[in-house]
Amino acid sequence: MSRRHTDGNNDGRRLGRRQWLSMLGIGGATALAGCSGNGGDGGDGGDGGTGNGTDGGDGTDGDDGGTDTSTYATAAAASFTTLNPIYNTENGAGNAIARALDQGYTFDAENEYVPLLYDMSTEDGEVWTFEVREGLRFSDPYGEVTASDFVYLIQEIHQGGWASSAATTSWRGVTVEETGEYEFQATLESPSLLWPESYDPLLYPIPQALLEPYVAEEDTEGLRQDEELLELQFSGNLGPYVLDEWQRDGGTQYSRNDDYYLRDADDLPDVFNEAPYFDSAEIRVLGEQASRLGALETGEVDQAAIPPERVQEYRNNDEIYVNQIPQPYNEKISVNMRDNGWTTGPGNMFRHTAFRQAMAAAIDKQSLIDGVFRGFAETHFTWQPRFSEFYPPEEEIPQFGVGDRYGSEFARGLAEDAFEQSEYDYGFDGETMVDPDGNQVQLSIYHSAGQETEQLMGEFIAQELGNNLGIDVSVEAIDGTRFNNEYWTTTEFPTPERNEEGEVTEVPDELVDTVNGEEVEWTSPSATNPGPRNVTANEEWDMEIVFGLNTYPRNPITNNAFFDGATAFYNPVGYYPGFDAQELFDNAQQATSEEELADALVELFANLAEEQPYIMLAFPDSTVGYREGLEGPIENFSNGWNLPAWRYDQ
Amino acid sequence: MGFGKYVGARVLWAVVVSLIITTITFLLLAAAPNPAIREAATQAALQGGDPAAAVERERELRGLNQPLYVRYMDFIRSVYTLDWGWSESRSQPVIEAMGQALYYTAQYSIPWTVLTITLGPLVGVYSAANMYSWRDHVATGFAFFGYAIPNFFFGIILLLVFGVWFEAVPISYDTSAPVFSLENARQLILPVFVLVTGSIGATMRVSRNESAEFQNSDFMKTAKAKGVSPLRAYAYHVMRPTMVPVSTTLVGQLLALFIGSSLLVEVVFGIPGLGRLTFEALLSQDTNLVLGSTLVFTFVAVVGNLLEDLVFTVLDPRINYDDR
Repeated sequence: MSRRHTDGNNDGRRLGRRQWLSMLGIGGATALAGCSGNGGDGGDGGDGGTGNGTDGGDGTDGDDGGTDTSTYATAAAASFTTLNPIYNTENGAGNAIARALDQGYTFDAENEYVPLLYDMSTEDGEVWTFEVREGLRFSDPYGEVTASDFVYLIQEIHQGGWASSAATTSWRGVTVEETGEYEFQATLESPSLLWPESYDPLLYPIPQALLEPYVAEEDTEGLRQDEELLELQFSGNLGPYVLDEWQRDGGTQYSRNDDYYLRDADDLPDVFNEAPYFDSAEIRVLGEQASRLGALETGEVDQAAIPPERVQEYRNNDEIYVNQIPQPYNEKISVNMRDNGWTTGPGNMFRHTAFRQAMAAAIDKQSLIDGVFRGFAETHFTWQPRFSEFYPPEEEIPQFGVGDRYGSEFARGLAEDAFEQSEYDYGFDGETMVDPDGNQVQLSIYHSAGQETEQLMGEFIAQELGNNLGIDVSVEAIDGTRFNNEYWTTTEFPTPERNEEGEVTEVPDELVDTVNGEEVEWTSPSATNPGPRNVTANEEWDMEIVFGLNTYPRNPITNNAFFDGATAFYNPVGYYPGFDAQELFDNAQQATSEEELADALVELFANLAEEQPYIMLAFPDSTVGYREGLEGPIENFSNGWNLPAWRYDQ
Repeated sequence: MGFGKYVGARVLWAVVVSLIITTITFLLLAAAPNPAIREAATQAALQGGDPAAAVERERELRGLNQPLYVRYMDFIRSVYTLDWGWSESRSQPVIEAMGQALYYTAQYSIPWTVLTITLGPLVGVYSAANMYSWRDHVATGFAFFGYAIPNFFFGIILLLVFGVWFEAVPISYDTSAPVFSLENARQLILPVFVLVTGSIGATMRVSRNESAEFQNSDFMKTAKAKGVSPLRAYAYHVMRPTMVPVSTTLVGQLLALFIGSSLLVEVVFGIPGLGRLTFEALLSQDTNLVLGSTLVFTFVAVVGNLLEDLVFTVLDPRINYDDR
């Protein structure tokens, strides 16, 4: 049956369901990178996998206002931690690896699966057959790429239990078997029609012989530090370019790979037959935004992210064009429903759905988009962007924060509903929301220090909550790493007892709570959901906009990590769904047709729009500037899937 | 004590100082929570394991369960054998990271230092020789402008003007440019200019004030009366005594600027040098790399002070080694 797969580029973040790092999303990443919400390198588009093609053309040498068309150069805001494909979890480094090493597959502009290293097919969603493309070669002395390389990588590294590779969780519970020289099969624990879209089966090709010594010794450090892996020295004909040098803090430099395997592929558009079209490629790390933009203007780089407030300026520049690329990372307010949240007084109003709705109704989404994001964003009502094929019909989701569902009167009505549900005597004194002692409700909201867009957003939110709900909100700046370590996650939590087989034998009382009238046990507490609401991180907090989260539009089932119940893997805010989310996810997971799948997901997203587990605000677009004449970029989530075929118009 | 013995004693003292600083660093590290331990606990928690057991395993793996004195001896041995560990945030040995960063930092800091210690005193003496004239005001104004304007802002403005508008210099730093090449000189001219204007002010002011007292001294009057050329008079009779007090402040100033200004300039001009390395090591909580940076700065400070002492004795013949 159908083949599908994952994405290619744009947001090369790893999308493994349980990989909490990837879930921190763009907010966290940019916080650490020290750049604005518009991303560091402007995103090639998809991650690892890039499509492409063929031989031929050596980069043209044209001349376009100073542009060096023999080199494809991009600007990145932050340097890379590692280029070791087994351990990388960063988007920027994923782009750097992708210049020299393809992954298994990608998705094209129509969201269709495109086989790169291997094709995937299934009859029932449970047993998936991987067919490895013939003619793939590692560098000497490793020889041809065969199914055994992938099977060995999966079984000995990802499933080996000692290596802690980035894809470890993706392959848990999957049975893999080599069925031919160029074929292997993976059997899932339960069927999944959207398995490729989950990115879980996305693999890099790694030579078995390179791994064997580390596997024999179970040498994690050696594997992490292996020079051949870090420098991608084994990449053979597996990428459009060959990595010449990785200059830490400076970037990466590549030269054209004349043997690139996709040049001979007959299942891709002809444009790949001569790819890549440049003699060389570079990624330059330029930490300062002014430097990145200057480099784009002068033609030193061909691509750089443009902050929203500068887009119009660059659109008026004849030598640059700007693409507005929708992406799945959201801007939302996390409200802390745990015991260390709602610091203003007794009770925690955030726990009442009506109160969260009131907050959503108090913030004018369109004004936020116009004012802070200069119009380069889309309203966010449920946990999917509109380009998702699983976006519910508009009439099925309440649209808080626009039209009749925005404003003081409407928001206060919802807040009054919430007060009635509370055992504490909150209310309004004139225009002011007051606690049981008659004092104004005072809350704080954290944003990443140095992030101008976030700061503006925080101030806008504070103003709206003040004007429409009478809440006194203070805006606080904080370092993203500190917020993550001290406020968002915790490593000190009670753990259940397990027997030698790893089965839970006893759950401590601290890990048991009553949710919607039923007793729930946290049998797998995690740093991002350490237990019931009484288990908290070190510091108390009310609201945050430090992190944006991925909404996984290609495979929304992945969102079960956020929402499949009180015990969800990723639940720092302590959200307990008021509907049977687990059942809806199960229905989606077990669906045997696209219709069943869509029905379950649409119902799920309608419920999430109603409950506002996070106060959803906007989906900012990536705005990326390219040198005029560059052909290839598309204004689509899949932008970059065909990066090796990008070229300058002759 | 002869010059050789004096140098030997100073070098020995420098080693002792570095040992003291290294020891303090070790004690601070030993007292601070280890991010690797925290990471291990997080990983274990994420994978459904026992964070406490993971912490214990990690402590054992890293030798943190050893007695303090054993860890101390290991640490000292590693430091002095240049075995500084692995940088997690850059995926390379720390010593290699430091070497690469120093390679780029040296390319702009050597010309910067040379120009500062050359131009600063020259401009100062020139100012003093023309005190209260328009020349003095121009020189002072120039020095103070450079001193007052933030390097970060100044760098961006210059980059905008000369890089973007006039396209006279490249915007992004090209690490592949040969060190001694026109291309490299072009890309380093702005960072060096920004740093020199930033550091010349203080040196110039000290030189100006110190040299003022020698301008009308008896020996200058005598020299002038004997027909010594003004250039020779200033070079021998003003500049040399002026350099004694100036040299005492120079090293400290340059070190402070080296650490502070170089980071900002490296960020603006995209130079992968020591400043950015240290800053990013701190941000990413890369303990080994932070430690490596600390040791390098310690080394630079200790050697700088050593050189300062030696220069002092050379410049001022009244100082003899027996007094020290």
